[in-house]
Amino acid sequence: MTKYILKRLGQGLLTVFLTVSTVFILIRLAPGDPAVSYAGPLATTEQLAKVREQFGLDRPLLEQYWIFLQQLFTGNLGTSYSFQAPAMQVVAERMPYTLTLATASILLTAVVAIPLGVWMARRPDTNRELGVNVLTIAGQSMPDFWTGIMLLTGFAVLIPLFPASGFATWGGLVLPTVTIATLQIALISRMVRREMTSNFAAPYLTVARSRGVGSPALTWRYAMGNSAIPVFTALGTRFAAMLNGVVVVEVVFAWPGVGSLIVRALETRDYPLIQATVLLTALLAVAVQLVIDLAYPLLDPRVRLGKAAAA
Amino acid sequence: MSLSDTATPAASAAQPPRTPSASAVTKELVAKAGATRRRNAAKWKLRIGAVCTLIVIIPILLAQVLPLPDANHQDLSARRLAPLVDGHLFGTDQLGRDLLSRVLHGGQVSLTIGILAVVVSGAIGIILGAAAGYFGGWVDTVVSRVLEAQMSLPLLMMLLLVVALFGPSIPVITFVIAIAQWPEVARLTRSMVLVEREKPYVSAARILGLHRIQILIQHIIPNVIKQATLVVLLLLAQAVLLESALSFLGAGPQRPFATWGRIISDGQDYITTSWWMVTLPGLVIVLMVVGVNLLGDGLRDRPRRKKKGA
Repeated sequence: MTKYILKRLGQGLLTVFLTVSTVFILIRLAPGDPAVSYAGPLATTEQLAKVREQFGLDRPLLEQYWIFLQQLFTGNLGTSYSFQAPAMQVVAERMPYTLTLATASILLTAVVAIPLGVWMARRPDTNRELGVNVLTIAGQSMPDFWTGIMLLTGFAVLIPLFPASGFATWGGLVLPTVTIATLQIALISRMVRREMTSNFAAPYLTVARSRGVGSPALTWRYAMGNSAIPVFTALGTRFAAMLNGVVVVEVVFAWPGVGSLIVRALETRDYPLIQATVLLTALLAVAVQLVIDLAYPLLDPRVRLGKAAAA
Repeated sequence: MSLSDTATPAASAAQPPRTPSASAVTKELVAKAGATRRRNAAKWKLRIGAVCTLIVIIPILLAQVLPLPDANHQDLSARRLAPLVDGHLFGTDQLGRDLLSRVLHGGQVSLTIGILAVVVSGAIGIILGAAAGYFGGWVDTVVSRVLEAQMSLPLLMMLLLVVALFGPSIPVITFVIAIAQWPEVARLTRSMVLVEREKPYVSAARILGLHRIQILIQHIIPNVIKQATLVVLLLLAQAVLLESALSFLGAGPQRPFATWGRIISDGQDYITTSWWMVTLPGLVIVLMVVGVNLLGDGLRDRPRRKKKGA
């Protein structure tokens, strides 16, 4: 067990390290000079050179990478050019907002998508189910920025129920959450339906039914019990992906989270900020993945973690 | 993910009985059977999907032929006209350009990118997935690790980064979307090839002395390609969405190409006064993507006809 956790931790950290290194190389290959975006278009050559020296951008790439590695292990990724504050601190201040949004979205998704999927699986291909099925397809076919703008216009501008942007009150959480959840509900409920239909057709369920197990127990204890792992994994993976920034939705709603931060950091070529964002979000995503894996034995007693890793 | 789900045993029961009088299976029972309902559902999905897709695709293909104003013709005296005013079916935008014309011409760009991206990702995915499944060993290890690594990367951010790096030209965006999508095809192809590999016809081909690559290309891939292409159809829907998201964030093809995402992001500033500038292009995307998704779903669920001697 401990060995398994250590192994997974090692793998996770390696993934984070490779991700961060890839990003380090990619952003330095990219055209666009951070000194120009920092000093402004009117800066003289001398001023630009000074800025570059100040940020250490005039040094050879390998040396920059070496400094970056040292910073990585001390957890201090340098000062953000545009915020004039430690990059890690800037990202850490934004993180709770993204976490709140991601948590709210995944909760709403789970609460709606699981019952919906079960409902569909219990009456597959009836007219009503076909209608709902087409609706879920529509849900996964709407571009999320468009859904966002539509909700914004509808419920913040025309009928001013919720604030249009930012996170000043809890009401501000509603529209972004609904926007994200629309897509996720469509995806997860279809997945629940697929898992449950195949479990409903499995022999063990026929046996249980012939022994006289009631319908609710058949659905929730038997079929759901065996669908729990894939469904839980899907929810967890989605959640981990959201921590990497729900970029589009955050931009639409001017949500002060990591997603809108990264867009701004990319635009201004704020190297330390980009790296800090990638590092923090990748670490969090890896941690979430680990928690998901560790939860498997709770959902299915047959799972033994050490052996699951070997298989 | 089992594509040919669970209804196979019931499929034979759904066949109309040859001697109806002698059988206890009535027509009503057949109509109620799971397999029949499934077939009907698939049929309806195919129909609705085809209608939705064609409504969008035919005008896009005919954009040059249709009597429409030029997509880039500005007319400042006709700014932000509402739909149906002065012969502008979708209205005009903030520079007086005909919105319908822009949506259709933009659709040509968006669709080209989507189709190219899907062809590229399909090719990469099928080749690498088949190689990983068939050869196993280090090939499988490398492909599987790359798949895993890509899954743990922050995808949209990486795409934005690469577009920032190589410039938002159409080839770059196509390539970026293809890279984002190949894992899905590869994973599916790999799992199907793993199954095919153990079948007797492969052993037979090997005994006949065929080269391994020949077996893979001539015998195994034809058996899995049909299912793989179905997934590719679903990926086309995603590619269109992804391209519009990139365009929305400003990382789409630059002017003069008006892709769907850019039209929407341009119209966003006028949403309170000119609702059509965002709503209508978005509806076109939704209609098209719903259509493609329904087609993919319907084709997948459609009961497969048995081939002779299969």
